[in-house]
Amino acid sequence: MKNPFFHFKSVPIKKKELPLNRIVKEKQEIMQSLIDSYIKLVEQEARDLVWLVEQSRVVRAYEYALKSIENLNYGQDDIEEFCAEMDSSQKIPYIISGPSGIFISALINRCSDDKIVLRVEDFQRTFHFLGYRLPEGKSLILQGDVGDFIGAGLSGGYLFVEGCAGNWLGAGMINGKIFVKEHVGQKTGEWMRGGEIHVDGQIQSIGRHRFGGRIFRHGKLVIPQDIKRDLWGR
Amino acid sequence: MDEQSDNNRLREKVWAIYDYIQDNLYLNRPDIEIKGKKFNSALLLSLLTALSQGKELIIGEPGLGKTTSAEYVCSLIYRFPLGLIWASEVAGHPEQTEEKIIGRPDLGKLNQGEEVVVWSYFTLLPVKIVDEINRLPETKQSMILDGVDRGNWEYLNDTIINDEYCLFATANYQDKGTNTIIAPMVDRFDVMVESRHPGPNLAYLIGSEETDGMTLRDREIENRFFDLLRSRISYSEMVKRSEDLCDQFGKILKDRYGIISLSSEERSKIRREKAKIEFDLDANAFLRMLITELSFCYRYGQKRSHENCHEGCHFTGYMCSSIKNCISNRLPISVGNYARAFAWLLGDENVDLEHLMVITPYALAHRIQWRDDISAQRENDARDDPLPIHMAKEALKDIHRRYMEQAQQIKNALAVAYKVMEGEEIDLIEGDHPLYWEIKRDLGKEVRI
Repeated sequence: MKNPFFHFKSVPIKKKELPLNRIVKEKQEIMQSLIDSYIKLVEQEARDLVWLVEQSRVVRAYEYALKSIENLNYGQDDIEEFCAEMDSSQKIPYIISGPSGIFISALINRCSDDKIVLRVEDFQRTFHFLGYRLPEGKSLILQGDVGDFIGAGLSGGYLFVEGCAGNWLGAGMINGKIFVKEHVGQKTGEWMRGGEIHVDGQIQSIGRHRFGGRIFRHGKLVIPQDIKRDLWGR
Repeated sequence: MDEQSDNNRLREKVWAIYDYIQDNLYLNRPDIEIKGKKFNSALLLSLLTALSQGKELIIGEPGLGKTTSAEYVCSLIYRFPLGLIWASEVAGHPEQTEEKIIGRPDLGKLNQGEEVVVWSYFTLLPVKIVDEINRLPETKQSMILDGVDRGNWEYLNDTIINDEYCLFATANYQDKGTNTIIAPMVDRFDVMVESRHPGPNLAYLIGSEETDGMTLRDREIENRFFDLLRSRISYSEMVKRSEDLCDQFGKILKDRYGIISLSSEERSKIRREKAKIEFDLDANAFLRMLITELSFCYRYGQKRSHENCHEGCHFTGYMCSSIKNCISNRLPISVGNYARAFAWLLGDENVDLEHLMVITPYALAHRIQWRDDISAQRENDARDDPLPIHMAKEALKDIHRRYMEQAQQIKNALAVAYKVMEGEEIDLIEGDHPLYWEIKRDLGKEVRI
C-alpha cells in the first residue's frame, strides 16, 4: 500500500504540550531539587549519629541549608508542598526533626514571597525551628500547633502562630515580633536579645537567661517586670 | 521571457478578461473575499472552470445571467464567437435525444450502407453549455454522463475524446417543468454556484444600456466555424484548423474590445503551471480532516446513504452525524483542481487554507445530502446564499474551527503515521477527531473506543 502520509514526511514531530503538563513538570522538578538539597543536609548532619541542639550545630546546619538551596527557584506553594512531602511521602527516606525545621526556615527566609502561610495543622509531624532567623520584611503565619524553638534567632520578621507553641519559643531572638494565639511551653524567650513575644494563652515558663526584648501576655507586658507576679497574675 | 514573467503575463490576461466581463458583460456584486480582494463567485468560478477544464453547475432564478455568464467566459477564454457557442449549446427539455445532443448517423451515407456519424457542435467544441439541465428527464441525463465526466462521446461505433473541454450546466430552481438531477450527474459537477440578482442599481444599468446584439460576435468567423465543423475532416484536423479561426477571432477581440484573449497553447501552459502548485501542509491536513468528517462512520465503517447514525454515537457533533451520504472521491479532485487554479490566478505559490475556505463550499454544496432535521433547522437562517451553499459554508467554518484548535496535533499525527507506515516503532498520536481513527485504520490498528 502506498504511504498516504508522505507529504508529512519532513514534518518535525512536536509533542503537544499542555500548559498544565508543563506546570506539573516544573513543580516536580522544583520539588525534586528541594528534596535532594534536604537529603544532602541530613546526610551531612547524620554523620555524628545523634543530632543535638547546639548553637554551633544549628548555625552550621542553617548555613549548609542556605547554600544548598541558593540556586533554586521556588515559591510559598513549593514550601508547603515540601512540608507535605516530608510529612507523608516516601520520597524522603529519613527525617531528623531539627534539621528539617531549619531547612524549612532556610527555604522561608530565602523565598521571594514576603508573606508565607503554612497550614501546619494539616501535618501529622510536628515541625521544630520554624521561623528560625526570620528576617525583617518577612511574615510567617503558622496555622496550627507547632513544636520547639519556634522563632529561634528571629531577626526582624513577624511570626504568628495560630495555635500552641512548644518550648524555647523565640530562643535567642534578636529582633521582630512573635504572636502566639494559644499556649506556649517552657523557657519562652530564653537567650532573647531583642524583639517582642505576645502570647494570648498560658506561658508555661519564661527563660531565665535573657538579654533584652519584651514578652507580653494578653497584651500586657510581663517581661521585663516581676516574673512571678506576671506569671501568676498577682 | 523567463518563466515567472510569462506566468505573470498570462495572469494579467486572465484578470483583464475577468475585469472586462465584470465591467461590461456580467454586472454583479462581489460576494466573496480573499486576501483583501473581492470577487463575484459566479464569475470567478466560471473563469476557473474554463481555465482548469472543470464542470460547473450554475443555479439561480430565470433571467439572472446563468447561461450568459458562462457564454461570455467561454467566448473570451477560448476565442469562440458567441454565435458559435449558442449554436453548440444543448437545451434541456423532455424531448431531447442522443441524436440532438451527441451525434447522428449521416443519412446520405447510411443510404449507401456506410455508418458515418455526424457529431453535434456540442460534442465537437471544447466548451460545452447545457442550458437548464434539470429539464432533461432523469433517464436522459444518463446519456451525457460519460461525456460530462471524461469528455468521451460515443455514438454508434464511433468515439470522440475531447482533450480540452469544460462544461457549464445551468439549472433553475424547482418548478413544474424541472426534474431532479440524478445523483451521479450532480457528483460529476466540480462546483455549484448561484448566479445572483445584481441588485436594483446594477440591474437598472443592465436594462438601460443599448446593445446591437453583436457583442462578442462576428458573423464571418462564425460562418467559417460552422463550415469547418460541418466538414468531413478528422476531429484532430478540425481542432487544429479551428485554432486558426480562434486566432482570427482573438485578433477581432483585441481590435474591437481591447481584450487580449488566450491561445490554446497559453491555456495549456496555465494548466501545466497550475498543476505544479502544491497544497501547503495546513491545506493538506485540513482537506483530510474535511474528507474524514464526510465519510467516517465509527459503527458501520464508512458513511452509506441507506444507513442511519445510531443514537448516542460518540462522534455526534462531527459532520458525519449531520449528513446521510458518503462524499465521493471527486470532491478532493474538484477542490484540488479549482484551488490550484485559484492560487495560480492570485499568484500564490501554494494552495493554503484561505484558498480552500473560498473554493470548498462550492465544491461541497451539491454533494452533501443533509439529514432532513439538520436542513430544517437551518432553512430559516438569515443568509445571502441558497441553502445548500449556505450550509456548506457554515459546516466548513465549523471544521475550520476544529482544525485550528488542533492543527499542530493533526500534522503531528500524520507525520507519526508516515513513520509508523515506514516501519518505525513509535506511538501513534491519539485524538478525538475521526481523522485519528482513520489513521489507525490505515495502519491496520483496531479501532475501538
